[in-house]
Order: sequence, then C-alpha cells, then structure tokens
Amino acid sequence: MNAKIVTFSSHGDTTLLEYDPATADMDEVNRVIAEYEVKTGAQPFDMATGERISKVTSEQREVLMVHPIAGG
Amino acid sequence: MAPDVLPLIAFLALFMWRIMFSGMGRGWLVGEHDVLPRRQNDLFGQGFYIIDPARLILVADEPENRADGADLFDRKYRAQDYLRRIVALIGATQMGGGYALDVGTTRFQVRGRYVRRALDVTDPKCRYEETCFYPAHKEMPKAEQIATALLQLKNNPALFDGWAAQKSIALKADGRVFTPCVMIRE
Repeated sequence: MNAKIVTFSSHGDTTLLEYDPATADMDEVNRVIAEYEVKTGAQPFDMATGERISKVTSEQREVLMVHPIAGG
Repeated sequence: MAPDVLPLIAFLALFMWRIMFSGMGRGWLVGEHDVLPRRQNDLFGQGFYIIDPARLILVADEPENRADGADLFDRKYRAQDYLRRIVALIGATQMGGGYALDVGTTRFQVRGRYVRRALDVTDPKCRYEETCFYPAHKEMPKAEQIATALLQLKNNPALFDGWAAQKSIALKADGRVFTPCVMIRE
C-alpha cells in the first residue's frame, strides 16, 4: 500500500508525493517536506492521529501538509 | 395479378415519399446554415463564416457543460470528506452552521472564517472572544479552510491568541510567524 503526502490548496486537496513506504528513502521524503515547509510554511500532520509530526516515518500512510493561517 | 402489383406500388410510393421529404429536410438544413453565417458576419463584421465553433464555445461556457464542472463538484465532495474525517479524528462536533471543538475546558467554535473561544465552557457566565482567520490559499474550499483551522487549534490552542493579536500575519501550525507568505484577504 502506498503512502502519500497531501495538502489543501486553491485547487482542493492535492497530492504532493506518493511513495511505497516499504522501499522509499524516508530521508528523501523528509527532505522534500522540509523544502515544502520552507517555501509555503505548511507543516506535516498525521492523518491517522490528527497530530502534528516533526518527521515522517514509514508508519504514516497519509500526511497532510497544513498551511499557515493569519488572523484578521 | 392486381394483388401482386399492389405491394410493388405501395413500395414505390413509400420510396418516392422518402426521397421527396428527405430532400426537403436537406433544404431546411441548408436554410439554417444560411442564416447562421449571416448572423456571425453581423456580429463580427469581418466576413468570417464560423458556424459550429461559436456554438461550441457557447455550450462550453455553460458551467454545467464545462469539463471542469465535474472536477469542481468532485473537489467540493472531497473537501467535505476531509472535513468529516478531521472532525471525527479530533473529536469536534457539528453545531449549527459551524463546528465545536473542546480542548480541556476551552471551547472553540469555527464557522466560516470566524473562530469563537470560550475559555471555560463549564462556566455559564464565560464570555466568548472572537477573531477571524484567513488561510494562505484564499480560494481553498471552505470545508478545507475549516478543517485546517480545527486541526491547528486542536494541536495548538494558543494559536487563537496569535490570530487575534497579530492580524494579517501568517502563523504556522507551531505558532511561529511565516514571513514569505503573502496573505490576501477576500
């Protein structure tokens, strides 16, 4: 079963990355996520627990990159 | 002999009738085509005789006929699905037109782009504070905006204070300021 990194955007939910957690290089996955956070400010949340995570492991099947929010 | 000839006469009559009326049908069609180019010519005044393309564009412009119409519906459906999943995941509940989320004794109510907070929901005299919020992507489906706010508040309830105090400043889920992001209000 594949794992995926998704995000909410202007186009609705968008899959940023899809990989096989059994064989994927998780360091590479985390590098991509870190780059995405630097660019957009989005941070990873585990969609199985609803908790923010600092690092994605092969245990997570769906990770949601949650974008920043501003008050008004 | 007469009974043998009758079916042949009937067949010939039917054949002739078909030829006559199909010819008329073609004539009517030609008539329609004659009218359309003139109308196009009047519209553009440049002598172009484009019949079908204009008609196709018109049909394509109708929202229900757009190729992305189904995609838009699908997107909204998926956004609702994500919201339902997140609401269930964090133990929020649908309340009126919004969603209520209890974190300890604090209750957040997210509705549209507004968040209300009651610091002690057990106190009947507890007053509500309210602030509004703006996601980084202003065209994000409403359901996903609400899901984003709920998920962030569940993990970091103090974000409410940040949203209320630092207007138009984007805060990441961990509460840190995100500077490169340009927030656009609708």
